Amino acid sequence: MISIRDLRIAYDGRVVAHVPELDLSAGTIMGIAGESGSGKSQTALAVMGLSGYAGAHVSGSITLDGQELTTKSRREWQTIRGRRIAMIMQSPRAALNPTVTLGTLFRRSLRLHGVSRADSKARMRTALDEVVLSPDILDRYPHQVSGGQAQRFAIALVSALRADVVIADEPTSALDVTVQAEVIEVLRDLRDRHGTAMLFISHDLAVISELADSVTIMRHGEVVESGPTALVMQTPRQVYTRELLAAVPTIRRGDPQ
Amino acid sequence: MRGQATVPKSRTTAQAQSRWRTLASGARRYPLLFVGVSLATVIVVVGLLAPWITPYPHDAGSATHATAALQSPGAHHWFGTDLVGRDVLTRVVHGARVSLAIAIFVLLIAAVVGLTVGLTAGFVGGKVDTLLMRITDVFLAFPALLLSVALSAVLTASATSAVVAISATWWPWYARLSRAQAAAIRRTGYCDAARVIGASRSRQLWRHVLPNAATPVFVQMSLDAAGIILTAATLSYLGLGAQDPTPEWGLMVSQGQSLATTAWWVVTFPGLAIVLTAIAFNFIGDGLQTAFDPKRARR
Amino acid sequence: MNALLSVRDLRLSYDSTQVVHGVDFEVPQGPYGVGLIGESGSGKTTIARALLLLHPIHRGSVAFEGADVSRLRGSDLKAYRRAVQLVFQDGDGSLDPRMSVGANVGEPLVVHRSVPRAVRRDRVAELLAEVGLPEDMIDRYPHQLSGGQRQRVVIARALALEPKLLILDEPTSALDVTVQERVLKLFERLRIERGLAFVLISHNLAVVDRLCESSVVLYRGSVVERGPTASLLSRPRHPYTRALRAAVPEIGVVRPPLTRIGSGTPPDQADNACPYAARCPLAVDRCRTETPALREVDGREVACHRAEDTIEIEPFTTHHDDRKHG
Repeated sequence: MISIRDLRIAYDGRVVAHVPELDLSAGTIMGIAGESGSGKSQTALAVMGLSGYAGAHVSGSITLDGQELTTKSRREWQTIRGRRIAMIMQSPRAALNPTVTLGTLFRRSLRLHGVSRADSKARMRTALDEVVLSPDILDRYPHQVSGGQAQRFAIALVSALRADVVIADEPTSALDVTVQAEVIEVLRDLRDRHGTAMLFISHDLAVISELADSVTIMRHGEVVESGPTALVMQTPRQVYTRELLAAVPTIRRGDPQ
Repeated sequence: MRGQATVPKSRTTAQAQSRWRTLASGARRYPLLFVGVSLATVIVVVGLLAPWITPYPHDAGSATHATAALQSPGAHHWFGTDLVGRDVLTRVVHGARVSLAIAIFVLLIAAVVGLTVGLTAGFVGGKVDTLLMRITDVFLAFPALLLSVALSAVLTASATSAVVAISATWWPWYARLSRAQAAAIRRTGYCDAARVIGASRSRQLWRHVLPNAATPVFVQMSLDAAGIILTAATLSYLGLGAQDPTPEWGLMVSQGQSLATTAWWVVTFPGLAIVLTAIAFNFIGDGLQTAFDPKRARR
Repeated sequence: MNALLSVRDLRLSYDSTQVVHGVDFEVPQGPYGVGLIGESGSGKTTIARALLLLHPIHRGSVAFEGADVSRLRGSDLKAYRRAVQLVFQDGDGSLDPRMSVGANVGEPLVVHRSVPRAVRRDRVAELLAEVGLPEDMIDRYPHQLSGGQRQRVVIARALALEPKLLILDEPTSALDVTVQERVLKLFERLRIERGLAFVLISHNLAVVDRLCESSVVLYRGSVVERGPTASLLSRPRHPYTRALRAAVPEIGVVRPPLTRIGSGTPPDQADNACPYAARCPLAVDRCRTETPALREVDGREVACHRAEDTIEIEPFTTHHDDRKHG
């Protein structure tokens, strides 16, 4: 679905992210892991066509089903964003208009992307059901719902829009661990039920190991290692990957005495 | 190394050089600020040196020369003379001192009162905050001019009464501004951190809240300088501020007003001085605001 | 043996809502760590603030070395401030941006006048060295430092007055994983070198496991389980602790899919019910009418009527099937 070749994102001549090769197929979740400054978020922004707004210079190729995205105009992007590629961000409430109810938001987004009124209702109901939210939530305002509910709402929106590709940028980092577990399940559902392709960006390797089919590890803007998740996590080849894995704190197993 | 007793000479010259370089780059980056500061510096310096650089320093005082009245600008009087024969150039230059003095005093009083009220309100919170802010609101309700008129009726009109009147209407803005700052700072961690260390409330206010709250207030002060000068000029124009023979620009405009078409120089030069000074300080204020804009901060 | 810190029946309110309902725990003399485990709404941060006298204590008591801290005045209060220090979560917010690193770290020394001015800089350099930062950092400013460096500055400052107890509020949550590892190692070293006691507040079970010998699990302001960390995390008894433990993702471990239970947004805390009753898969009528007290089960204290049965249930998640009740 998404193919990245020799992508370079630079600010004022300084390259902040360099991805030589990345392929994302439908129905798979690719995790992009790294610490701060690794360039993972920059890469995500580039795939959404948002780098230009921040003043970055993007070179290389990002294709969606063969279509080159880096050369698309703003207007062309408007038809792609939301419908074909959607984004879920770390802070769900920041992305929700605080002056309208969630229901209005949902309806508007669907209508904006050409979904008929009849279809909208059905889609909303199904989407909310899938993320385990009651339809009552549509009457609430963004500040009246919890972080977990807001995030699940964002996922429902993305699901209802039937986006082919979802880019999730640290969607669970701000959530409690039990809520995080829920959201991970919902995202997994999205992949299994709708065949959505997902780019999951996170600094949390444990979450990535749970959710992602394949993983790309980035550091200081460069790709360090990539491959199937289980393989990379169990038999890391690069020193940095090993350091990263070793640094993840784990709960001791067994009953010490 | 503690107590650097000897500093190598090369270091001081290097420091001086780097300061010039910073100045030059500053000028390029913030042109408005640079123009404003340059202009204001000229005005201030000229005003300070007034008694020594003006041709007829006594004309700024009570001297009158009836015979030389209303002479158009010429060799002896570059800006001409006014209704009672006083050299307009001298009076305009001395006027800088008056206007700047008024501005400085007003700013000082307003800032001190405003900061005290605002920081206390924002930092302490609760009932104190509510009380102080209600008092502030009362003062905010008065338009500057109205209060000045009222105060002038009570006090005898003079430059001093103008200072009092303008300060009374200006301080509430600083109170509001610093209260918001104090409240925001209180919410961040370092005030709590200071408390945990055992710092007293006054130490927290003085050491932590004030320095961090001060910057927006300073920027506001520079923006206000122009407004204060204009207000002072307006007051004296209305006869509620400085009185003759004080060479206050607004007063001069008022005095020459009826002669605007015939003896244009009596009105024009003081008027120009007001405009230039206001522009200079506005540029400074705008420039500072841009320079301190957190979004432009380079890390 | 006298406990260093003794918290009894602590009740705290926030804006007229009660957020902490009778919490007890003890912190023995160092080196020792007590973990306060909880998610948002558990009251853990409010408790931390109360321990530092940043939050008013209305009911219950906090005693330090036997003395009730809310009654401390004057020099006794100052002594408490020296003995108990705080390391915040957000290194960014707890350092005054207008003061240099040296000034920030030296502030406690200035406030308590414990070190003469001439020697202060040396002392600050020593503290920075102890946390692994070079002396030239003294003249830098917080915004010039990385997140990990800032956090270490905060730790240096906390150590300045030779405290006996450190309250750590999510000290590593905002840090990159490799940086976190280094900071955790630093804490381990300081613990031993200085014989420090910690109260570690975190939602990160692995970090708590690393630094705390015993833990207290909080749910909506009440203690639901308390005891030795190792067994508490490996064989959690309280349904909430089990849910928490089950929700933590681990590398290389495949978690079974979680069963969804629960009923939407929790109702307000009823006076005579288990705080977890609305979400608990094991809840019976008794749970809704009688608040469970902490009782000893399996070497720990658990506040659950059905603590003996919990070990059999499947892993589940605690919230969110909002479809049932909305």
